[in-house]
Amino acid sequence: MQRLLYRFRQALIAPSRNPRTAVVIGRLLAAAFIICFLTGLYSHFIQNPLPGMQFLTRPVWLYQFTQGVHITTGILCFPLLFAKLYSIFPLLFQTPPVRGFLHFLERASIAVFVASSLVEITTGLLNTYQWYALFGFSFRPTHFALAFIIIGSLAIHIAVKLPITTRYWRKSTSYDSAGELIPLPEEPDRNARLPLPDVGIGVTSRIFAWIDKTPAPKSPRLSRRGFFTTVGVAGATLVALTVGQSFRPLDVLNIFGPRKAGVGPDALPVNRTAAAAKVLETATSPDWTLTVSSSSHSRSFTRADLESMTQYEVDLPIACVEGWSQTAHWKGVRLRDLVNTVKAPKSASVRATSLEKGSIYAVTELEPNFVQDDLTLVALEVDGKTLDINHGYPARLIAPARPGVLQTKWLSTLETF
Amino acid sequence: MALRNTRIVLVLFGLALMAIGAYVAWIEVNHNQYARVIEWLIGALIVHDGIIAPGVFLATLLGRRLGGRIPAAVIALVSGALVVGGIVALLILPEVIKKAIGTASSSILPQDYALHLGVFLVVLALLTAAAIAFYARVFARRQNLRSPADQA
Repeated sequence: MQRLLYRFRQALIAPSRNPRTAVVIGRLLAAAFIICFLTGLYSHFIQNPLPGMQFLTRPVWLYQFTQGVHITTGILCFPLLFAKLYSIFPLLFQTPPVRGFLHFLERASIAVFVASSLVEITTGLLNTYQWYALFGFSFRPTHFALAFIIIGSLAIHIAVKLPITTRYWRKSTSYDSAGELIPLPEEPDRNARLPLPDVGIGVTSRIFAWIDKTPAPKSPRLSRRGFFTTVGVAGATLVALTVGQSFRPLDVLNIFGPRKAGVGPDALPVNRTAAAAKVLETATSPDWTLTVSSSSHSRSFTRADLESMTQYEVDLPIACVEGWSQTAHWKGVRLRDLVNTVKAPKSASVRATSLEKGSIYAVTELEPNFVQDDLTLVALEVDGKTLDINHGYPARLIAPARPGVLQTKWLSTLETF
Repeated sequence: MALRNTRIVLVLFGLALMAIGAYVAWIEVNHNQYARVIEWLIGALIVHDGIIAPGVFLATLLGRRLGGRIPAAVIALVSGALVVGGIVALLILPEVIKKAIGTASSSILPQDYALHLGVFLVVLALLTAAAIAFYARVFARRQNLRSPADQA
């Protein structure tokens, strides 16, 4: 078995598989993971703030930008993670497989790291396709918990590999003039072809003898350049052909994005339809009113009442945690004006309740800085037309720098607290 | 000493984050879904170590065996194109399947991904072929330039 593992390792030797390439790809992957982690935390906490947390209302594209980056970087993690696994591939067959307790812990932590990274990015991608049925677990808490496990095991992995990482951080001290890797002083050249103990007559031995007849690659530079070019092209291709869903100037290249700008009712994408939210009757009822209340006052507004108030027009994006976003032109009443009609203090937060049934997003909260913002509207129109029912008719929230899922549609009540 | 301290700090930081992860998993993830999450994690290792790794192993061997006969640049181009096409297909095929199953709204997965993937792979193949043809011409010209000098 030991000999077989050793043979595997020897057969996998390639100039692009060395500690220096692992360091180069590893840094990019670590950066990508950290970007995904931070942008993910931002989205998580803006939806579930811890006590005392405050969020910015400017720039208005802050949420849109962070989540576009989250998804695009997440997509980029696929080629980077594959490249990283490829660059350290021979280590999968290291002999002996476990050298001691610490080595066992190291390999176990890598197994946790690899497994959770693969599951994280795969389920993240499938979530943008809304293929929840495949999971068998709820996506959001699992994605959130795994993110900590991944970044934690990444920190441990960096600690374990730190001597190698610092040794091969710079290209100039990694390769000799012929382009060959300079091995670590304390260990023999991993790429050296050691004489094999003996050649048996079994099938495996014959296969390896066949492999061994091949000379080692002549040009290590070409091999490495090919490797990095391939990773770069794969990453650039995936980004270029999907990023248009969150970055409008590249919309023309968006052939693989799960959303397309301009596709949906009134040319604006919809995540949750009125039918799915079971509001088709309640939202179109002639009895609909919006009830605004504070601790001391309460008022009800029909849609005509809202239309008779001072109307404001704003350009704000609908931006989803799934990465897509689209800016639209909204018209409606300032939330601040509505809240003032019930004599709420400036420091009041607002709890918005939708007609929607059976969703955790039916009730959302706005902190005082969002309530008082000039751009926060109870919107009645979008892009010059009355709101489509799928966009939240008769009235919906639209505020700057907020996740789409908190831009509550089919408003029913607004309570200050 | 600095290296040692950095490593200790990183390990402690990592353990703290993993503890947060475990706590979040305990508090927020429904306990009867744990088995399914673990299935996914083990499944990921099986797919990687059991399917992708041996596949890459065989491809590496093939590449090495062909190494003597076909110019390294051509092998690099073809293997590069196969990897790019493979990764794109790996990410987009689930999208094709999910679109066929159906979505909750017409603005989710609105594009014809099967067609787009097909066109993409054809364009990739054509570009690769063109790059190989270009390389072959340059290579032949270099050989022609070199041979008279070699004879002299």
